[in-house]
Amino acid sequence: MFRNQYDSDVTVWSPQGRLHQVEYAMEAVKLGAATVGVKNKQYAVLVALKRASSELSAHQKKIIPLDNHIGMSISGLTADARILSRQMRSECLSYSYSYGTEIPIIRLMNKISNMMQSSTQRYDRRPYGVGLLVAGFDADGPHIFQICPSANLYECRSMAIGARSQSARTYLEKHLADIGNSGTLTDLLKHALRALRDSSPNDTELSSKNVAIAVVGKDTPLKELSEADTQTYLDMILSEERRSGDTAGGSDDAPPPPPPSDPPAQDPTPVVAMETQ
Amino acid sequence: MSSIGTGYDLSASQFSPDGRVFQVEYAQKAIENSGTVIGLRGKDGVVLAVEKLVTSKLYEPGANKRLFTIDKHIGMAVAGLISDARAVAEVARTEAANYRSQYKSSIPLKYLNERVSMYMHAYTLYSAVRPFGCSVILSTYTEEDGPEMYMIDPSGVSYGYFGCAVGKAKQAAKTEIEKLKLKDMSCQELVKEAARIIYLVHDELKDKQFELEMSWIGSQTSGVNQQVPANVHAEAEKDAKAAMEEDSDSETEDI
Repeated sequence: MFRNQYDSDVTVWSPQGRLHQVEYAMEAVKLGAATVGVKNKQYAVLVALKRASSELSAHQKKIIPLDNHIGMSISGLTADARILSRQMRSECLSYSYSYGTEIPIIRLMNKISNMMQSSTQRYDRRPYGVGLLVAGFDADGPHIFQICPSANLYECRSMAIGARSQSARTYLEKHLADIGNSGTLTDLLKHALRALRDSSPNDTELSSKNVAIAVVGKDTPLKELSEADTQTYLDMILSEERRSGDTAGGSDDAPPPPPPSDPPAQDPTPVVAMETQ
Repeated sequence: MSSIGTGYDLSASQFSPDGRVFQVEYAQKAIENSGTVIGLRGKDGVVLAVEKLVTSKLYEPGANKRLFTIDKHIGMAVAGLISDARAVAEVARTEAANYRSQYKSSIPLKYLNERVSMYMHAYTLYSAVRPFGCSVILSTYTEEDGPEMYMIDPSGVSYGYFGCAVGKAKQAAKTEIEKLKLKDMSCQELVKEAARIIYLVHDELKDKQFELEMSWIGSQTSGVNQQVPANVHAEAEKDAKAAMEEDSDSETEDI
């Protein structure tokens, strides 16, 4: 017989009141490389770890600009994210066209979350297999939002999603107040990069090639940093020892070593739709 | 449920031999895992209160609400899958807005309830969709008809209520609500009771963190749905916590 007869369609509730297809889609998010979003009172920042499918290929794109004041980073199926980003961009445009001002972040989030919801309720659709971290700045200040394949939408003080992201979340929870009150953009970025480093595979060092950084904030339109700028910020934290280092300063926040369940990084895995199967 | 696994519980468009639609019953299960939501209808308004379970410290406090405003004179509280609930809220808002543009007046809750119920019911008829995994409570107050409150089930069934509860601890909450003389109570009193009940039924062991959300609508808000003002909210929350302390004190004395 089947292992689980209730897990083949999104339209089937299990006797426990669960939707297995939606839960499986949530798993797809964990296959993508980690990404972290943080904010203080002026800025919202996204940092992401980029994978390359081979030595000869370029690194994947993790951060997608949506509007002057909104950007998002993704983890999961890149192709699904592109569909969503296209819709979000056109939503931003049509709002500015209609109202002559930039769209409030929450409006965009509700719109896209409702759109994602419909594909969790219909037989002829599947949930989007991608998690989004959206950073934006509007009249209410900076925002970080997380959207799951379940179409759940959370406004966050900071958040990390993707492979091994629990380590980053542990870092963020520990430094929650520090991050929110960090006075400068540099401090904020350092926190984000440290969190990201905690989630990076053991044999991978952060470099300007495999890290993407985007910043948005007060009087600061969304901008993805150049490799040179990325390197500048990386240098600030790379001089600090990593995880269970032997020198003082931050080493006591070292998270536990990553669980062995994480596939050891053999060849870097490209994120392709079918590979989630 | 002996019929589980017999193959009659895989589609919303199929009856089991004893005349049940299991998919709808399973959808109702989803709600029983969510935080408790209560609605209290008094003499001059309705108070909605939600025990919002917070699963991560990283979430922004006060955001990610389970209380909605559908139109200026209609409030909504939801239990169950929040993403499904938001879709229902959107449908309700569209319905209310359409009514307003057609008739140039506010939609009566009786009518809105009927429309939203029909919409949710439609999702229990076809194999191509699944029933909504949420229950919603709708509230309003008008000069003419006074306070009104309805609750809609995933099956699309709805009733008007004086007091209702849904979610994890609905049974315990109902027991508490039944002790109240709702018809004689004002919103000010209801807010305190609502906060007390939510704190009372909250399971400290299973769900550590939660936020209390409350909204009200009544003569004191001139028929406009709004969040309970911060000072009233804080006062009610303080009293609720004090009541809890008292409760646990008397329990230890008994021993």
